[in-house]
Amino acid sequence: MAVLNRMDWYDLARTTNWTPTYVTEDELFPPLMSGAFGLPQDAWEKYDEPYKQTYPEYVKVQRDKDAGAYSVKAALERSRIFENADPGWKSVMKAHYGAIARGEYAAASAEARMMRFSKAPGMRNMSTLGCLDEIRHGQMQLYFPHEHVSKDRQMDWAFKAYDTNEWGMIAARHFFDDIMMTRDAISVSIMLTFSFETGFTNMQFLGLAADAAEAGDHTFANLISSIQTDESRHAQIGGPALKVLIENGQKAEAQKRVDIAVWGAWKLFSVLTGPIMDYYTPLEHRKQSFKEFMEEWIVAQFERALTDMGLDLPWYWDIFLKDLSETHHGMHMGSYFWRPTVWWNPAAGVTPDERAWLEEKYPGWNDTWGQCWDVIIDNVVDGNMAMAYPETLPYVCNMCQLPILGTPGKGWNVKDYPLEYNGRLYHFGSEVDRWCFEQEPERYAGHLSIVDRFLAGMIQPMDLGGALNYMNLAPGECGDDAHNYAWAEVYRALRAEKKAS
Amino acid sequence: MALFPITSNFEGDFVLQLVAVDSECTMDEVAAAAAVHSVGRRVRARPGQIMRVRRQGSEDFLPRSMRVSESGLKPTETVEIIWEAPKH
Repeated sequence: MAVLNRMDWYDLARTTNWTPTYVTEDELFPPLMSGAFGLPQDAWEKYDEPYKQTYPEYVKVQRDKDAGAYSVKAALERSRIFENADPGWKSVMKAHYGAIARGEYAAASAEARMMRFSKAPGMRNMSTLGCLDEIRHGQMQLYFPHEHVSKDRQMDWAFKAYDTNEWGMIAARHFFDDIMMTRDAISVSIMLTFSFETGFTNMQFLGLAADAAEAGDHTFANLISSIQTDESRHAQIGGPALKVLIENGQKAEAQKRVDIAVWGAWKLFSVLTGPIMDYYTPLEHRKQSFKEFMEEWIVAQFERALTDMGLDLPWYWDIFLKDLSETHHGMHMGSYFWRPTVWWNPAAGVTPDERAWLEEKYPGWNDTWGQCWDVIIDNVVDGNMAMAYPETLPYVCNMCQLPILGTPGKGWNVKDYPLEYNGRLYHFGSEVDRWCFEQEPERYAGHLSIVDRFLAGMIQPMDLGGALNYMNLAPGECGDDAHNYAWAEVYRALRAEKKAS
Repeated sequence: MALFPITSNFEGDFVLQLVAVDSECTMDEVAAAAAVHSVGRRVRARPGQIMRVRRQGSEDFLPRSMRVSESGLKPTETVEIIWEAPKH
């Protein structure tokens, strides 16, 4: 029997809206969940997804793709890549799996909200497939690291991280709860799929896939390239929704959601991906600097995606472009200096050769971050390790939940952006973080940052041990220098050379 | 006498930090408490210079002997700790 071509029946088959008679439209699509922006069903029926796929096609393609990723894993299981990998690369894997795997699984529920509550039939179909994607991504990114759990306890954080009060996970949860777990279907499509996935997951998945292949970790490279092709499809759910909103006079609301989500995504990537690309990945395997990658993928491509859609660049674009050269250096220094509080072992990445690379990619690095690193390096070289660790908490932002930081040394520009709201003093890491909060203060005001929790006496005893316990970091899981300070030897040799001459 | 949290923004450092002081501490004592978490860890000491305290956004230092309880600072408010060369 001849089978009709997909495009001969797709439009008709996904026209699944009807006029409810037993309940009202608002009962069928509660506005709180649907986020219809006051638009009736027929406005949403104009939603036209650019990437059309049917369930049988999805199953066939995904089965083949998953089989490919799983067979690469099976073939390389005895290759001892993990045992032989640079410790900095292992840290990349640990940070990635912990921050991403369970978040993907949580995203399945956000996709499911679009699947059930969106008034746009095309969106419901695409997010059905998107939901299946996220379930598969959660499963794969838990299954792949599992083979390493018996070798390294930090690998267990692939599963564990999302349930803990570790500071980075509080930040990740705060962001994902904001953009995908507590938003209506249309807002999820704008904030999760358009802003976060179109804009930023390319960074994590394409950039890392290139670095993984360079580092010889073909299992990881294959896995995340496979995931990225799914992301590229379901990331397109938000675009047509934006089009409907703009055509119906809702541009300002759409723009606001994009602006909030893009900023939050940027901050999260500045702590997760920035240090990985510019400090953890071994120098010889680096393809591009974090800034270069951001400029290619976010500035050049996402900028066009925004303007093609009829949206404006976020009002803070100039601040963002400036921060591309700065923020992640501070995030790296913070996660390195407070290394017992992360579930991976940060690589310092500051040998003389690495510093020369940083200076070339970020002119002025030595006069700024380099000045703080000089002090850290001296302490490590002198064996003065007590001074190479912290004795208090960094102050964190009440929006992004990440340390409030800036450029140190000769370019010192660190600043707090405070706000008093209902008698409570809030602190923010930037004008933009504070603006995000002010758009809907009641949404965020009740949240306690890790510092607020400490001051409220929720962390006991009030010392590092109490903090690690609160963050669920057991002995053997706390981070320390990825290379066990072996990099300090080159500085010792330089000193000896200087002394001899 | 009561514990009083302040947020330290130390000149030359890269991050704000939580510092616990006492409400009866002087500004010199506040600066010294903040320095514990920056000087020698990520900021080099500057022999011969003193550290002064000012509110963020202010050009004027708070008097060195002023106590926290007299300063009007709010709990967790950010203060800048700035190096000052001796006046000759």
